[in-house]
Amino acid sequence: MSLQRNSTILLCRMLTFFIFLVNQAQVEETLKRIEASKGVIGTILVNAEGIPIRTTLDNSTTVQYAELLCQLSMLARTTVRDIDPQNDLTFLRIRSKKHEIMVALENNYLLIVIQNPCE
Amino acid sequence: RKSLSLGGGSKVLDKSHVHIPRPAVRVFDEDNNDVTPQPLYQADPGTAQAKGSRFFMNEISGGSDQTTATGSFTMPFSKYYLSIYLSIYLSIYLSIYLSICLSVCPSVRLTVKEPVTEEMLKEIIDVFLTETDTISLLDIPSAFVSVDADEADAVIERNNQYAEVCRNRMGNDKYVNRSVQTLNGAAKHKHVQSDSLVMVDAAVTVTTWDMFDTLCNLEQEQTIRSPQPEKNDFSEAVLDSSRAAERSMSVGSTVSLGNSKDTKGAFPLTPTELYWLQLIMQSERFQHSLLVMERSILLNIFQPQLAAYRQLFVLEGNLSSCLPCLVLLWVFSCKLSRGRSISSMAWNKKNLDLLAVGYGQFNSGDQEPGLVCCWSIKNPTWPEHFIHCDSAVTCLDFSANSPGQLAVGMHDGSITIYNLQSPDNECPKKHLGPVCQLRWIQQELSFTGEDRAEALFSVGADGRICKWFVFGSVLNYKTEENVLSVLTPGLCFDFHPEPSIYLAGAWEGLIHKCSCSNTQEFLETYHKHFCPVNYITWSPLSPDLWKQDQLNPVLGFTSTRGAVYDVRWSPKWATIWDLKTRILDPVIVQPAAPGVTMTSLLFVQQTDCVVVGDSDGQVTIYQLKNLSVGEGSQVNVLEDLLRSAASR
Repeated sequence: MSLQRNSTILLCRMLTFFIFLVNQAQVEETLKRIEASKGVIGTILVNAEGIPIRTTLDNSTTVQYAELLCQLSMLARTTVRDIDPQNDLTFLRIRSKKHEIMVALENNYLLIVIQNPCE
Repeated sequence: RKSLSLGGGSKVLDKSHVHIPRPAVRVFDEDNNDVTPQPLYQADPGTAQAKGSRFFMNEISGGSDQTTATGSFTMPFSKYYLSIYLSIYLSIYLSIYLSICLSVCPSVRLTVKEPVTEEMLKEIIDVFLTETDTISLLDIPSAFVSVDADEADAVIERNNQYAEVCRNRMGNDKYVNRSVQTLNGAAKHKHVQSDSLVMVDAAVTVTTWDMFDTLCNLEQEQTIRSPQPEKNDFSEAVLDSSRAAERSMSVGSTVSLGNSKDTKGAFPLTPTELYWLQLIMQSERFQHSLLVMERSILLNIFQPQLAAYRQLFVLEGNLSSCLPCLVLLWVFSCKLSRGRSISSMAWNKKNLDLLAVGYGQFNSGDQEPGLVCCWSIKNPTWPEHFIHCDSAVTCLDFSANSPGQLAVGMHDGSITIYNLQSPDNECPKKHLGPVCQLRWIQQELSFTGEDRAEALFSVGADGRICKWFVFGSVLNYKTEENVLSVLTPGLCFDFHPEPSIYLAGAWEGLIHKCSCSNTQEFLETYHKHFCPVNYITWSPLSPDLWKQDQLNPVLGFTSTRGAVYDVRWSPKWATIWDLKTRILDPVIVQPAAPGVTMTSLLFVQQTDCVVVGDSDGQVTIYQLKNLSVGEGSQVNVLEDLLRSAASR
């Protein structure tokens, strides 16, 4: 009886592990597609402390972008939440003359993509 | 008799004197001997000013010491004279002290006075008198208790006891007079040193959301009292990701695990950063963010085309010609679908941006596994969902009641229902031959009493038309079928707007009109086509293009080359063959790329676009331009045309 239970638990764990692997692969694939999209100059993934953990740009540019955009997104987030504390910022787009910077915000990460839309 | 003379007493009261004069008090005894007591302490008259009070005290103490210590003076002195002596000294020194004070203070109390003018005197000055709050400096509650009070009895009792004690005190052995001396311990100096107090400025900016967060956290802590079940982080993250948007039961997927260290930027990832990366990648919200981000990027890239699709105002560089034409907007294509021929397309009934495309070879011998891709308008480069099927897909349709359900019919005859919103549950059922057409039809009545229940109708090459009911998630086989004929495979069918009659087209070119209630035989049969009828639809504008009471079709369409694979009614205009200007020839013939044949056609509901699928796996969207629309309603137009054609 307990052996059956153990085996089923093991099977469930293996299945979930498999699903996890597949999902991880899909996430990786989507990220690669984004990085290879037309006009995308760079992609940076920043964790909650502001440390870039995945990037396609060089070191100094990455650090600069991460730091500046962290500050800006914190400010934007404070603005949104001050007006209504139950609201939260999810996406930020900055359109400049040359580029468009898109930032997806969550509690524990920041996904930054810089795109040149009109090539 | 002793006499006392206050010779110099009057001099003392003069306020100008600042030094303490020696009082000229002389005491004589009976024999007129000068027994004036000499002060023990001879003070320096120059320093007597500031130390007036101390000198005074010393004098008194000196005087008292004299009375007890030295016996020679106590004898002739009586207490009477001592008291006078003391009182005189008291008065003298008090007055001296007061004079000192008064002489010193006036210098402090000097204020500047401005000259008072006549106008100032006549001015009416408002003086406001207000009462300040009562400041209580001392509050000693009364010791008197009223006779009527509650504790009066106890108080009276205690008072009586005390009076008793007092009366018994005299001569009582219980009470003995004793003197007590307090010992003052010797003082010792001790040094203490402490660390310097470091003062740090701390400031907090409180924002609205900060307070809200704190409140929420407090409430959460209060509610979470029961012990949570033990879950390790791993399975929790997995459960999260299993509810992700991208779902595919891709068995045998050959996508390799991405190596997270493969980054262009020279970032040596520490273990903690790796851990962060893993954690972030697993979360569901990251996938959602990726989805949104990808769509945003693509929206930027495809902005003009999408704007044209949505019929927004588009800035045009050059004015196009006035002829009706097709403008290529974009192509749905990805590496998964390239090379596969498109067999069918269907729009989602609820989300008008979702297009399901089935890939499968139509007439070929070897069958490769089929694929169904759900494309979204917002992402023309990668399908939202894709499902690998066992055999080639021949037809598909979205359900209207539950818009996440997609019914797919395949070449091997099985019909599968996929649920796009939750992990797939397939429920395959089988036909004997390839399923040629599927349609979800809403019917008026159902068993459970709710209106507009849906049934799935399918026609297969085995010559059967079957009706399936879906109960819950299981597809049930309802025994209601029409057998067209054993020999001729049915290829297509379509329902009349009154959903009980439908037309079915067969291989031999026959068109049968059948009814749901009458399952055994046909109501009508039309003969016109010589070739297989591949597709048939009712016109949404008027009840029937082929009139019901006529056996001959009123109009026929011809095309200049190839077989007409697909005919659809445009929701707005008659067809892409403009019935108004030319009936027999199509107005627009879109040339396909060489080697590629167009296999299916679909109209978009709200915009004037056409979706064309071809045999290379590409789904192209064209926009119809400059197709003129008649003034009157379409029904009138059609009827006019029909009448004019019939009269020919």
